[in-house]
Amino acid sequence: MKKIAFKTLGCRLNQYETDALASRFHTGSYQIVDFNDEADIYIVNTCTVTNQSDQKSRQTISQARKKKEDALVVVTGCMANNYKESLLESKAIDFVVDNERKASIYGIVEKHFRGEVADPEGFDKDVFNYEAAYKTFHTRSMIKIQDGCDNFCTFCIIPKVRGRATSRPAEEIYANIREVIQYGFKEIVLTGVNIGRYEDGDTDFEKLVENILEIPGDFRLRISSIEPDGFTHRFFELFAHPKLTPHLHLCLQSGAESVLLKMRRMYTAKQFRQMAEKLRSMYPDFNLTTDIIVGFPAESEAEFEQSVTMAKELSFSHIHTFKYSVRSGTRAERMSEQIGEKVKNQRSEVIRKLSEENKRNYYKSMVGKKQRMLVERIGGDGVARGYGENYIPIRLKAAGLVKNQFIDVEITGLHEAKELEVTAKVI
Amino acid sequence: MQNDNIHEIISIRHLTDSTYIIQMSRRGLKFRAGQHILLGKAGSIHNREYSVYSGEKDSYFEVLIKEVDDGMVSKQLKKLKAGDKVQIEGPLGFFTIEPELIEKEKFLFVATGTGIAPFHSFSRSYPEIDFLLLHGVRNANESYEKNHYPKERHILCTSGDKKGDFHGRVTEYIMKNRVSPDTHCYLCGNFNMIHEVFDLLEQQGVPPEQVHAEVYF
Ligand SMILES: Cc1cc2nc3c(=O)[nH]c(=O)nc-3n(C[C@H](O)[C@H](O)[C@H](O)COP(=O)(O)OP(=O)(O)OC[C@H]3O[C@@H](n4cnc5c(N)ncnc54)[C@H](O)[C@@H]3O)c2cc1C
Ligand code: SF4
Repeated sequence: MKKIAFKTLGCRLNQYETDALASRFHTGSYQIVDFNDEADIYIVNTCTVTNQSDQKSRQTISQARKKKEDALVVVTGCMANNYKESLLESKAIDFVVDNERKASIYGIVEKHFRGEVADPEGFDKDVFNYEAAYKTFHTRSMIKIQDGCDNFCTFCIIPKVRGRATSRPAEEIYANIREVIQYGFKEIVLTGVNIGRYEDGDTDFEKLVENILEIPGDFRLRISSIEPDGFTHRFFELFAHPKLTPHLHLCLQSGAESVLLKMRRMYTAKQFRQMAEKLRSMYPDFNLTTDIIVGFPAESEAEFEQSVTMAKELSFSHIHTFKYSVRSGTRAERMSEQIGEKVKNQRSEVIRKLSEENKRNYYKSMVGKKQRMLVERIGGDGVARGYGENYIPIRLKAAGLVKNQFIDVEITGLHEAKELEVTAKVI
Repeated sequence: MQNDNIHEIISIRHLTDSTYIIQMSRRGLKFRAGQHILLGKAGSIHNREYSVYSGEKDSYFEVLIKEVDDGMVSKQLKKLKAGDKVQIEGPLGFFTIEPELIEKEKFLFVATGTGIAPFHSFSRSYPEIDFLLLHGVRNANESYEKNHYPKERHILCTSGDKKGDFHGRVTEYIMKNRVSPDTHCYLCGNFNMIHEVFDLLEQQGVPPEQVHAEVYF
């Protein structure tokens, strides 16, 4: 039996696609091993969203090659689209497979081992041709509903590497979800590049979510990461449904109107604030997390301070900070006044600290409150770990706990570890 | 290279020394007024965004381009001639008007320079639309086909000479002529103008969801 190892860099969508591939290889009688172990095939699903992701992707590729001289190294993901020519020249890589053909990797590998010429370009493009991953590395099941983006924010390379926005047919999504519920998954996470722009005939994003919530079964639905544009009141009302988790990763990027305009984002800081306040007024414990870019070209100290103020006032419980990095072919590449690394580091540190502080405050505010924990794993010490509906990491010590089970708990306090967690008791 | 996004130039109209209109074959490509395309010379890896200038029902595509002093693509495209080929990606973008609003609502269009392009497309695509267009330029010779708009709907704001309809910037015009809060406002062109007009409109009570912006640079 051939051994195969996977490494994913970057976003949830990449993670979903790796999981689906791994599942396909598993049913096809391959043995999945850890990326640090020796394998016959290494699949590296790359990311190119920042300079750092490029570097990490390159390191991972050479790591794979070093592990085993004669292993088959397959590189896919956004870097494969963005730097296809240079990757094709690399001796460390056997196949470069673009995002549009990622789902064909199983076919490519099979063909290769049958001794046939396996040219990735000869496989059809299909960004949704992934089977439901029942054997994933997680207990949550991600469901891909959309790919690509037409927003062309001036800093972002994604529209170039993921292509134009396209939506998966709604019926396929419902079928996929029914299937993973049957497999026993208890949490469904919608994923895509810009899922708010979902559109399949008359089914827009809100309608899609409404219909998913009507699917019978003991599961909950998480929207996760979404761009804050074009929400109607209906969107906010959706969260009244007990199956929809009160958590959104709503990408702010900057708190300064001027910077948002230069980024060509689709909302103003004021509109963002109104959305956040509306969510909190309707659902007081609502958990908001976000992305902030620091050091966008010409970002002044005053503009950066506006991001800080907004992050404080809207109390995001987690802020993913990106130091702006030039991506070739984007409009921001041609903007004057690029900001130096030192300033970017300082600004990033300010936001990182604030994020820690906000997280602590949010978790504290949840002490004494109820959560429905989904047990994801149980350690050797008998401590179960999982997330509540508000996406708070919970540790729970109790008898008779089973993995992949919902359990009603009350949050009792904070637990200091590498990552801050909360403790809880069964109610 | 794919051939299905290659379009042929029908003609180039030079409006000033630096500003020109490229008319090219449409090849059935659909778009909504206000959208833009990515345009470059055929075979070149460089392209830029340009708002579609022509109307939804025209048999051709047009874009209105100003040659930028240190620019790359705006210079390359200016050198092309009828019969040359260009490459188009798109149409793209969300700077469009919801169809149900077109006949019901009133609109304010505010442009600087070639930012007038999507408004030309709006007025050509929706002849019944109730709009007022403020076009900010330095000198009146940059009025770019003013005769294509109903006279009473087009206000040329010139900050350099006094040959326009209003002497001063578009922001000054708005300060002197309040915008009623039920207006749907579309702003297009340079960043500074858009940033200032956003603030002015807010002060004048226009709800933010009625303000749409397309920042060129
Ligand atoms: C959605 C969208 C639609 C656009 N539509 C149009 C359009 O209809 N007509 C049009 O002429 N342009 C339009 N632009 C601007 C256009 O895409 C290019 O930026 C412009 O033509 C310059 O490209 P370039 O390659 O010549 O210059 P570059 O080599 O890209 O830029 C050189 C420098 O000039 C600056 N610059 C860019 N544009 C201008 C400008 N107009 N005036 C002064 N400085 C500038 C840049 O910031 C840069 O520093 C649009 C931009 C966007 C984002
Ligand atoms: S919305 Fe903007 S940041 Fe998000 S993927 Fe699209 S272009 Fe990139």
